[in-house]
Amino acid sequence: MTALITLTNISKTFLTEEIETRALNDINLVINKGEYIALSGQSGCGKSTLLSLLGLLDAPSNGYYHLADSDVSSLTRDQRANIRCEKIGFVFQSFNLISDLTVFENVMLPLTYQSKKSKTQIESKVNEVLAKVEMSHRKNHFPSQLSGGQQQRVAVARALVNDPSIILADEPTGNLDSQNAEAVLQLFDKLHQGGATICMVTHDPASAKRASRCLEMFDGQLIKDQINTNLTDSKKPAELAVG
Amino acid sequence: MIMSMLIDIKYALRLLFKSPKFSAMTIGVLIGGLSISLFTFSFLYSTIYKPLPIPEGDTAKSVTVYHNEKFRHITGYEYENVKTNINSFEEFGIYENSTIRVSVGDSGKNYSGSFIRNGFFEFSRVLPVLGRVIQADDLIEGATPVAVISYEIWQAEHNGASDILEKTMLLDGEITEIIGVMPEAYRFPHSSQLWLPLNNSEFNDNPKISDAYYAYARLKSGVELEEAEKELGQAINQIYQRNVKLYDLPELNKTVQLMTFQMAQTGNDGNIAFAFLMTISWSILLLACINVGNLLFARTIERQKETAIRAALGANTNRLVSQLMWEGIIITCLGSLLSVLLVAAVLDYTELVIHSWLPDGGAFWWHYGMDSATLLMAVVFTFVTILLSTFLPAWRSANQDINMTLRDGTRGAQSKKSGRFSRILVTTQVFLVAVLMLIGSISAFIAHKFINMDMGDDYQDVMTARLDIPVNKYPEPEQQLAVFQLLNEKIQQHPQVTGVIAYNWNPGSVLSMEGEDYESEESKPTADALMVIGDTETVGVHLIAGRQLNHLDKLGNRKTALISQSMAKRFWPGESPLEKSFEINIEDKNEKVFVVGIVSDRLNSSTLFGKLDSVDEVYLSGLQFISSFQAVYYRVLPNTENAEEIFYRAIFETDRSIEMIYSVQLATKNRNMMRDSMRLMSNITFGTGFFALLLAMVGIYGLTANSVAQRTHEVGIRRAVGASDKSIIKMFLKQGAKQLLIGLGLSMALFYLLAFSFHKFTEGMFPIYIYSMQAVVVTIGLSIVVMFATYLPTRRAVKMEPSIALRYE
Repeated sequence: MTALITLTNISKTFLTEEIETRALNDINLVINKGEYIALSGQSGCGKSTLLSLLGLLDAPSNGYYHLADSDVSSLTRDQRANIRCEKIGFVFQSFNLISDLTVFENVMLPLTYQSKKSKTQIESKVNEVLAKVEMSHRKNHFPSQLSGGQQQRVAVARALVNDPSIILADEPTGNLDSQNAEAVLQLFDKLHQGGATICMVTHDPASAKRASRCLEMFDGQLIKDQINTNLTDSKKPAELAVG
Repeated sequence: MIMSMLIDIKYALRLLFKSPKFSAMTIGVLIGGLSISLFTFSFLYSTIYKPLPIPEGDTAKSVTVYHNEKFRHITGYEYENVKTNINSFEEFGIYENSTIRVSVGDSGKNYSGSFIRNGFFEFSRVLPVLGRVIQADDLIEGATPVAVISYEIWQAEHNGASDILEKTMLLDGEITEIIGVMPEAYRFPHSSQLWLPLNNSEFNDNPKISDAYYAYARLKSGVELEEAEKELGQAINQIYQRNVKLYDLPELNKTVQLMTFQMAQTGNDGNIAFAFLMTISWSILLLACINVGNLLFARTIERQKETAIRAALGANTNRLVSQLMWEGIIITCLGSLLSVLLVAAVLDYTELVIHSWLPDGGAFWWHYGMDSATLLMAVVFTFVTILLSTFLPAWRSANQDINMTLRDGTRGAQSKKSGRFSRILVTTQVFLVAVLMLIGSISAFIAHKFINMDMGDDYQDVMTARLDIPVNKYPEPEQQLAVFQLLNEKIQQHPQVTGVIAYNWNPGSVLSMEGEDYESEESKPTADALMVIGDTETVGVHLIAGRQLNHLDKLGNRKTALISQSMAKRFWPGESPLEKSFEINIEDKNEKVFVVGIVSDRLNSSTLFGKLDSVDEVYLSGLQFISSFQAVYYRVLPNTENAEEIFYRAIFETDRSIEMIYSVQLATKNRNMMRDSMRLMSNITFGTGFFALLLAMVGIYGLTANSVAQRTHEVGIRRAVGASDKSIIKMFLKQGAKQLLIGLGLSMALFYLLAFSFHKFTEGMFPIYIYSMQAVVVTIGLSIVVMFATYLPTRRAVKMEPSIALRYE
């Protein structure tokens, strides 16, 4: 098993109007390549803060964060942006698609922030991921013309387009009905089977059961780290990692 | 890189087309601001700073002599004494500008002309297209009178005759041979169309009465400007100081400054005027930038979540800023392009208007139109606008807290900050608009007063000319008086003339009233003294009591005076001032005069801002107080043709050498021109003020609407928990009123301070209630605008279903 992410003694403190709030307290965590992690816990326990730190949307107050053997704990805004662009894919609860861009343009967005690919390569990659999430037929539509489930599939496609090292999903089914939620979760299963590393925040125990590893948080600390042994063979990835 | 840029541009264009009203409003605001700034720059640059449009025009300098730092000119005596001793100059010469009468039969025409010395045309690096230039032989006393004429006179007066060099013209009543024709559009040194020799006989070896001339120079290679100024200054000052005791000259320190012809024309005040007007135009541009910036900032706030998403997907700060800026860049570039086109059209129109409005088309370098300097400035303005109104909002938005925005949309700490920022901006805008409106309304009152001002005289059908008797030819006062009397007589003899008066105005003459003790000279009253020859009725100053001054009020007899009604009331209230006496200081001598008549009040230029009776007039007899300089006025019968020819004939018959300061013209001409320029200034001020007001109104509405829109979610929550529409609207209006009160309060405090000073300065030109009325009107007007700007978006937010408002981001 290869460690993709290593968090060592990570803490995060927020200062709001002279009140200090410790959102994360001494977190130690290893995420291996190919793992499908479900992160759960009560509201306010620090799930989203941990996800933000993992996604380099924020920097830790203390501790070390290694991503693919590089220390990323104290990078500048732009350095973090470059890593997000190349190594991380986000799926948000509220989809966060840009309303004035078409499906194709939304998916293409992360690639436009990289200077490596040509126009043809970008177009081909976008078409490929859209096909993967079965949204090719709606690529010229605007987000407002899609259902919630379709919007979230587009968001997943956008998260995949840069071949990220890890996909971070913050309650991806929170805004969806059960049918659309199931479709998105199946998509995640499929990605996991294909070898993708996923970390998903969820409140839903049923969704969490689909992951290969379940983490639970309480009051800013990881209180449970469990390998999901009930995973059906068809949902298991090629190799299961335990950190 | 290029692909990313194209994607961003495409996206920005899509956003602009999606909001056509916003785009049009923003571009409109920019066009206004940029056009005003660009036009002001181009106009001033062409008037003051553009290189002189003659070969080597950038090295041609005008020589100015300062008397105790007062702007003056070199005298003929000084020039003659220093011209051969100055090592700094390669070329150095003098000339005199004048109006030259071209007589044809019973009528004629005035042209701007110059009396010049040899070397003049060579200095301008332009030679005649026909004939020759003026040479040293032409300057000798008794030489045949010759003239070089402009291409335009050749065409207009002689139909471009090929034998023009064999023709003569009657110039200032003298038959003059034409010796050359200058190329088309040549007008050096200012607006001349005729060039005549400045004869050697004009120079006088008495430094006390030597005439002053304009001078030009070109430096020798390698000589610094300051070096040349120092050398000439020292030389002139040395000569002057040598003669102070010898000729009883006043104590003066003379210095020299070399400057461009354009700057010399502004009396070296060009830099101040340029700085002042450019400050105003930059303020307008700044106001436009603030408003466009506000509008774009409102857009970036709307798109804050989008920016956060882009940041989350890996866009770095530079990329985010550039992406956010494209919309503003497109708007600014389009606005700049359109304003350049608009300014080009307005400059072309200005060129047309100026050259048709001003006599002789104004200075020859006044050419207005789109040029490289204006285009360069347009680029500078565009960059400044992009920086102020596009870069700053984009930078602010790109550096937001991504987490906060992604988690809370625009309802988190970001919106709280921007809400506070918006409120400060609204208050600032209210303050600015109120001040602009108040100052604008005072300007409107002033303009109205000037345009409709009763000057206390009647210039209808009155012609005027100003002239200076050559003192070297008529050194004795009696001789000078005889010339004026003869001239008046000759004018009066014309059957169409009903009255003639000549006077010399002497403002601020110190009075000493009988029986009064004065602590000091400063505590003595003053009045405008006018030394008149003739009847004041000619210019509509009516006799109220006593008699007019007449031929008996001459040297040797007791000195007499007419006083204005205001003076009579001021010093002899309730009694007749006739036959009363007082002392008046004329040319440092206290003269006792007896009042023989009372005349109606006039409004003199020294009291333009004052009341009609705030300054008194004393009319002294020109036969007793003689001056070589006089303004002559004569009234003609209505519809008299060639009324100016009456004067020219009289003066040519009296003495051709008498120098005219201004050509003969209708007495109302200057006043009408003053009124026209006041009207123009008033229209420009009003237009600029109105545009600034419009800008600020757009800004206030945009900011208020944006700050209310940001709180749509809050409105949803309030409604969800049971707030009525009325209570929500009341809450927002209350907040709007608070900003209004702060902004208005500050502006009113400033206004009353300004109004108080203005009231004092103008001696109560407007009654106090006028200022209060302005304050009330502005308060009501602005309150309506702000309340309306608050009410409209609030109503829209309130009308939204709570469920929709709660989802609103």
